[in-house]
Amino acid sequence: MSTELDSDAALMLRVKQGDWSAFTELVDKYKQPVMNLVYRMLHDAAEAEDLSQVVFLQVYKSAERYQVSSKFSTWLFTIARNLCLNEIRRRSRHPADSIDAAHPDHDDQPLQQYEDKKTFSPPESLLHGELEEKIEQALAELPENQRTAILLCRGDELSYEDIAKVLGCSLSATKSLIHRGRETLKEKLKPYLRSGCWPKAT
Amino acid sequence: MNKDPFFEDLREKGWRRKLTPDEEERLAEWLAEHPDEQSEWVAESNLNELLEALPNVPVPSNFTARVVQAAQHEEALAQRKKPSLFDFTISRWTRWLPKAALAAVLLGSGLSSYLYMQAARRAEWAKSLTTVSQLPSVANPEVLNDFDAIAALSSTPPADVELLKVMQ
Repeated sequence: MSTELDSDAALMLRVKQGDWSAFTELVDKYKQPVMNLVYRMLHDAAEAEDLSQVVFLQVYKSAERYQVSSKFSTWLFTIARNLCLNEIRRRSRHPADSIDAAHPDHDDQPLQQYEDKKTFSPPESLLHGELEEKIEQALAELPENQRTAILLCRGDELSYEDIAKVLGCSLSATKSLIHRGRETLKEKLKPYLRSGCWPKAT
Repeated sequence: MNKDPFFEDLREKGWRRKLTPDEEERLAEWLAEHPDEQSEWVAESNLNELLEALPNVPVPSNFTARVVQAAQHEEALAQRKKPSLFDFTISRWTRWLPKAALAAVLLGSGLSSYLYMQAARRAEWAKSLTTVSQLPSVANPEVLNDFDAIAALSSTPPADVELLKVMQ
């Protein structure tokens, strides 16, 4: 892990000096985990894509303020979480227009058209239809801090201490958030967890 | 939360990664001694698997290119907004103008007050001098030479009552 810290920090030092290839490398490395987190916080694929781009733009604009002593991924996910929270607050002040409203010029078409969001069928997916929907729904219904803690826990980018820094709380509070979130998930997904019925990896 | 530190430690490790074979073996031994915790561990393990199997969100193939392009655009805008040497010089000096103006006003009012006080004091002195110059002149001091003798003449000694009685 310390080798990874050094390599990310080295890349950021180069970004500070205007090295675009270093910035490209960082974006390529972290675009997937950032998109995963942002989508599951906003539940909107198009917005997740836009906001994920803003996350990296913010990283670039704030490069001068980056301290080598702090882990890059912790800093990155803190930016991502804060931008998501800003967006969620903005949405709560300006609720979305009705999706049933008709288009003023074309009565047979809705005012707003949304692409089919169910594009999650990558080859590596082990889950199908209903179960995946249940998990995504159960995650979406968790309080934001529990959901974020569980999602950050998934990958191996961040330690529990790093997750605590992103959330701005203590290590014990972070583990408590993860535990409570998981207890809620276990309760909602009980039938599946008991039976263990889903396609397993071979 | 289960209070057993051994179970909790493995549970927390399992949240982030698969247990190592050694950890799995120790867990199996522990669960054999604590069969009540078996179902709890199965639920934890199954949830770990479900969360692990959550699919990655599709990322557009041109995502990185668009981010870099946007960052370069921001950089170009920032460069254009930088002030010219002329602007920099002017702004450097105009920053100090309000402070210099305030200092000038304070200095001016202080100097005016001082000069006014000086003039007022001189006027007072002039007035005093005028008053003194109008006083009658003092007599020649030589007339005061016999002052004591003259003063003694005007004061008569008290009557000798005893002598007057004798003389009657």
